[in-house]
Amino acid sequence: MARAFPSMKRTDKWGGMLRGVIARAGLPGRIVKSLGQFGVLWGVYFGCARLVDWLGWPIPANVLGVVVLFVLLCLGVVRLEHVEGVADFLLRHLVFFFVPIAVGLMDWGEVFARYGAVLLAAILVSSLLPLLAVGFLTLFLHRAR
Amino acid sequence: MERLLFLAGCVGATMAAYLGVRRLYLRFNHPLLNVVALSAGAVIALLVACDIPYAAYAPAKDLMTAPLGPATVALAVPLYRHRDILRRHGPGLLASVALGAFLAMFSAGLTAKAGGLPREVVVSILPKGVSIPFAVEISRLYDGVPALSAAFVVATGTLGSLLGGWLLTRSGIGHPVARGLALGTVSHAQGTATALMEGERQGAMAGLAMILAGMLTAAFAPLAVRLLGLL
Repeated sequence: MARAFPSMKRTDKWGGMLRGVIARAGLPGRIVKSLGQFGVLWGVYFGCARLVDWLGWPIPANVLGVVVLFVLLCLGVVRLEHVEGVADFLLRHLVFFFVPIAVGLMDWGEVFARYGAVLLAAILVSSLLPLLAVGFLTLFLHRAR
Repeated sequence: MERLLFLAGCVGATMAAYLGVRRLYLRFNHPLLNVVALSAGAVIALLVACDIPYAAYAPAKDLMTAPLGPATVALAVPLYRHRDILRRHGPGLLASVALGAFLAMFSAGLTAKAGGLPREVVVSILPKGVSIPFAVEISRLYDGVPALSAAFVVATGTLGSLLGGWLLTRSGIGHPVARGLALGTVSHAQGTATALMEGERQGAMAGLAMILAGMLTAAFAPLAVRLLGLL
């Protein structure tokens, strides 16, 4: 646990008071703090999911969530130490979540066998073309300055 | 009870595969050692060997991917940490990433459609240049197949991190900002990892580009879907 959250800071005042209470209640403060941080992330995501549902926007809730949390951080409503411990942990292991999703490929072997060449061509073209486009446009914009 | 044990077994096997491959990756740090592809491959091999269909594994998948939404929202933290770069290079950065994100989506969709792929596969390939959490959601939104999207994302990332640096060098693009942006826009986290190996500046730009590309791709998706006649 200690190694998983290296950037956990023990500075903020409310956290300190909360920890005092928790220590008296006999709960390990770090776990509660992590749960609280996860709660902030979950709250932002959940709020965005409901909002997207309600408005019927064709935007993934997690995309809106990134924007909303970024704005909240900029406005100082949410401070870095309210989320960063858990955020860093989740981001470090973000790829874990895609392992079970990718297991779903076991039902799609046929598509790969049949369309493999087209898929490879599509991925190749759509990777190399924008790579150069972004590179050259950035160079151009830098020189124009 | 038996069901619960099976569920725990699926979760445990997936976690073990992930941690094992991750360890290998951290040790050897090679772009072909793709954590998602190899771990998923190991789990699929196990399921096939035990004659377990995907439908039986699905509940475990739902359980494990439940925290994915909040985890993705956490990407706002690195974005916030690099807000000074964002402020300094804002408009140019957005323009480059927007061009790249749109081109990636459109050229992928066009090639796939021209090659006669079924609609759901074409839709699934559209978000192949962005990190998986965004890609999976964009794909779901237009009735694509999240698992296929994840596969295309991994393929793109592996390709980009293998060939990206070489192609940029061959094309005379040596500026660290340009290299970082290009790698992050086109091949998301794997490109970012490659850019980080080149240098910190490249890495920071790539990380920014990856997140922006995810958001811009989501924003452009309705347009691309319409242009390609996939509605």
